[in-house]
Amino acid sequence: MSLDGRPRPAVERDSAPWWAALARHELVLQRCAACATWRWPPREMCNRCGALSWAWEPASGWGTIASWIVNRHSFSDAFASPYVVVAVRVAEQDDIVMFGSWAGAADGSDLHAGLAVVAGFDDVSVAEGDDPLALLRWAPAPGDAAPPGGS
Amino acid sequence: MSGAHPLRDRAAVAGVGWTEYSKWSGVSTLTLALRAIAAALEDAGLTHADIDGVACHRVADSVQAVVVAQSLGITDLRYHLDLFGGGSCSASVVGSAAMAVATGMAECVVCWRAVNARSEFRMGGTGRPAPDTVEFQYQAPYGYATPPQQFAMYTRSFLDTYRVGAEDLGRVAITQRRHAMDNPRALMRAPLAMEDYLASRWIVEPLRLFDCCLETDAAVAIIVTSAERARDLRRPPVLVSGAAFGSGHNLFSNHRGDLATTAAAAMAPRLFASAGVGPADIDVAELYDAFTPLVLQQLEDYGFCGRGESAAFVADGATALGGALPVNTHGGHLSEGYVHGLNHLAEAVSQLRGDAGVRQVAGAEVALSTGQPGYVAGSTSAVVLRSDR
Repeated sequence: MSLDGRPRPAVERDSAPWWAALARHELVLQRCAACATWRWPPREMCNRCGALSWAWEPASGWGTIASWIVNRHSFSDAFASPYVVVAVRVAEQDDIVMFGSWAGAADGSDLHAGLAVVAGFDDVSVAEGDDPLALLRWAPAPGDAAPPGGS
Repeated sequence: MSGAHPLRDRAAVAGVGWTEYSKWSGVSTLTLALRAIAAALEDAGLTHADIDGVACHRVADSVQAVVVAQSLGITDLRYHLDLFGGGSCSASVVGSAAMAVATGMAECVVCWRAVNARSEFRMGGTGRPAPDTVEFQYQAPYGYATPPQQFAMYTRSFLDTYRVGAEDLGRVAITQRRHAMDNPRALMRAPLAMEDYLASRWIVEPLRLFDCCLETDAAVAIIVTSAERARDLRRPPVLVSGAAFGSGHNLFSNHRGDLATTAAAAMAPRLFASAGVGPADIDVAELYDAFTPLVLQQLEDYGFCGRGESAAFVADGATALGGALPVNTHGGHLSEGYVHGLNHLAEAVSQLRGDAGVRQVAGAEVALSTGQPGYVAGSTSAVVLRSDR
């Protein structure tokens, strides 16, 4: 897809590895090396135990719908209304909420709180020499698959 | 801590000033600020030479505080606060000014908000510069950026959790419109019926047009000085009885997964303790209302009604003039105009002076004025004001 005038993410030093992973179609989260708490967006300190040691770990890509909006007013010519933005609680830890586009209905009629969803990736065309970029597009979880178990 | 809170009733509002509200001021935010400050000085019976402190909040949409200080001719500025933030900071500006006065850092601090929020910088508009937040990168590429979009995301969670419906939001807008009809300053004074509300266009579901505040060109100024000095001035003092700052949360605040409760819930006990009052002592409440659901949520989070009971509280007429707790007696941001919380503080002062005309809450002695309750911004604030009787 092309961003066509849409805002590009203002990638910075903390977030660059997360965006680079997303461009590889990998969803990652930080995890505290001391207390194993997940966190996102990227921050140097664990806001539960205060430790500075952490690592990037792969996330399952599963989650549930926390909320969503249906944009009707045109806030920007770059986005054709109606369109949906979802807020997803990631499966690893339900107090981590991540945004994205919605692969389902443009009026959100197929959404409800708690709906199981999986992450997908939209590649964005970038200028030659720029870092590759992808954005999140969440989709309904396949009905015959089980969400990841786990801690 | 034993004894009264050290801030309690030490500082007072001595003057209030407004510019005209419009969709096109035709002047700079500096000019708006100076006009509102001049009106507040006149109200207080003070001159610009009496001011030794300045305090404002803004989001890169208004003139710097020190430029206003220089324009007032202050050569020995003793207190300055130029706070980055929107309505979450409105009450903290006045609370900070009260602290500066109570500690003796300054004698007379002018607080203001000056915005061309309609004709220059539209919070909900296009061409808006990126806010000063690292979190914007995770939202903006999806077309998720403006306040109505962000508040709509929380609103759905509140509506789902407490089974609040469109008509419950509509009653907030209608109640406040009724108040604005008696307010000559208000931009929206035509009657609003439920069918008008329900027929208004979607902005971003679940918010309709009449759930959203009015982007306005205006300034409001408030002069804070010591209670002792205020008693010698032109108008009856309105005491800053208590103030509190709170920790807001947004969708990036890990470990705060409850999207339906605002930061006011945790702050309210501290605020009321600072003033030595409880919710039952509040005679009139000016609650930050960038969007209708914030009023319902604050009624619950400040303890005026139980969890999930705010819609019934409003439907029963409690928040209307003549009700148990009149709310947003000026019409609020929804119908008076959007001056980022300073107009709520000014209305509270009018009510406690007995100046509110046909909108007057009989015998009003204690008022609550709140900032935006903490979504998006990561902070909130509120003050309790009291008449000096």
